[in-house]
Amino acid sequence: MATEILARRKMRISRSGLTGLVIVIFFFLLAVAVWAGWAGQNWSAADGERWASPGSTWWFGTNQLGQDIFERAVYSVRTAFEIGIVVSLLSTALGAALGAVAGWRSNTLADGTVLWLAGVLDSIPFYLFVAAVAFALQGLPWAMHVAMIATFWTATARLARAEVMKIKSREFVLSARAIGLPSWLILMRHVLPNTLHILLIQASISFVAAIKTEVILSFLGLGVQDGVSWGLMLAESTQEVLAGHFNNFLAASIMLFLLLLGFNLLSDALQDSFDPKQAAL
Amino acid sequence: MPWFLRKLSHGGLLILGVTFISFSLMVWFGPDQTYTLIGKNATTEQIAEVREQLGYNQSFVVRYGHYLADLFTFNLGASNSSGESVNRILQKTIPVTLALMLPGFILGNLLGIALALLATGKKDQWTDRLITGFSVTGMSISFLVVIIFLQVLLCTPYGLNLFPVRGWQVSGLASYLYYVTVPTLSLIFITVGYNTRFFRAVFVEEAGKDHIRTARAYGASTMTILWRHVLKNSLVPIITRFMYTIPLVVISGSLLIESYFGIPGIGKATFDAVTSGDQPVLKAVVGLTAVAFIVIQLFTDFIYKLVDPRIA
Repeated sequence: MATEILARRKMRISRSGLTGLVIVIFFFLLAVAVWAGWAGQNWSAADGERWASPGSTWWFGTNQLGQDIFERAVYSVRTAFEIGIVVSLLSTALGAALGAVAGWRSNTLADGTVLWLAGVLDSIPFYLFVAAVAFALQGLPWAMHVAMIATFWTATARLARAEVMKIKSREFVLSARAIGLPSWLILMRHVLPNTLHILLIQASISFVAAIKTEVILSFLGLGVQDGVSWGLMLAESTQEVLAGHFNNFLAASIMLFLLLLGFNLLSDALQDSFDPKQAAL
Repeated sequence: MPWFLRKLSHGGLLILGVTFISFSLMVWFGPDQTYTLIGKNATTEQIAEVREQLGYNQSFVVRYGHYLADLFTFNLGASNSSGESVNRILQKTIPVTLALMLPGFILGNLLGIALALLATGKKDQWTDRLITGFSVTGMSISFLVVIIFLQVLLCTPYGLNLFPVRGWQVSGLASYLYYVTVPTLSLIFITVGYNTRFFRAVFVEEAGKDHIRTARAYGASTMTILWRHVLKNSLVPIITRFMYTIPLVVISGSLLIESYFGIPGIGKATFDAVTSGDQPVLKAVVGLTAVAFIVIQLFTDFIYKLVDPRIA
């Protein structure tokens, strides 16, 4: 049923949304190529000369340590997708579960607790929360992911809660109740599938947020611990640009921008095609 | 329960929550501070003494109580790395941060409102598309990229070389403008995309309402409608966004801007505390900002209630 809704809506996706989709698929294929070992494998070898110009050997030139910027930028696609996928899937799943329970049992203690927890997490400025989590989990490479998942679910939960509250008084839910189906089955089979459009949009929004956040956190030294990411490349480049070497900065920022733009266009198009109010205008 | 008591107890519960989280993360589960404070070759008695001072031999509830009491009496201790009292650090750094961040914050919001009004007035025409496209582009650029780009463009010989690369030696209006311009431009650049998009959504919704159609039918010009009806009726969401984003933009933004430009504000102090594991500074900043945020929220709610009795 949910796939049916998606299929029917797909007809109306806009041209800019399609552009976004193409960009995202392109980057995803790049990430797959890195996972499969076909590209970006030589990202850590410092075998070039320092700050070599772009050319046939070093496509994007080399950095301060003589590492191949092209290899590093491509390998970072994988890092970005790993962070984006882990954070967006888990935070959306957590938000959907908590939001569904809160909406199904609205105005009970369970509902109040979920809303309270969301309010509490939203009240701590995000980077300070990450700093606190990183401080508590010293050295653990997953501190960044934990902090993002622990804060990103709140928006999804609020939206899912509101939607579930709306759906639970519809006839098909009432009939499912009347024939005696247990609550969890109704939630799983009849209610949650109808919130899928919200979850899809939220997942794409959290994907963007996760990648952007990684960049800032890696610069602050709280992000990616080993490996390479666009954030780490930008952090390196802060020294290089003052010496007049821009290749590292350009490679990381342009790739980052394209992926974020692709996702933003895609999630905008999704939002537009799912929002009946917008469509009517 | 009367409305304001309900709000107050709600705020109280949130304060308990944020202090509980910051206490758990930084004090209870946080790294053991004993060896940070103690010199080399300490005797067993000295170690026990420090642990006693830190309260490590007491239960969770007792220590949480102490933490709360310390936070609300501003008994925040001294920094581990500089030995300076945390109160003194806060007094010194907060004015710098406000002077640094407020111009960009305010201008970013005003510019966002202006662009959003323009887009609403020309909805679905090319002006609107241009502004919407511009804001999506702005949202796709990382804060860090903007800062590096503007620094190269405005502060280095590779660009215009007009402003200082980093630092903060302010002693009057001229030097203030000299140091504040590039951080302010970065902040505007990074917030205007999000602001425009948010305000446009608010204005478009307001512009679709019946009273606007009536005004239009009576022949009011687009300018009058936008200014007198759309903007005025959207004041509540505008003020809400203003109040809610102040702590987030000012704190999170200052963390990055100040550590990048080497400006001695609260963000730099926090960054240093993170990198050196300076627990007293970190727990004061996290606890106090979260509490301040909730107090601001409560305050905003009360103001609304005074202004608009329909709000429940």
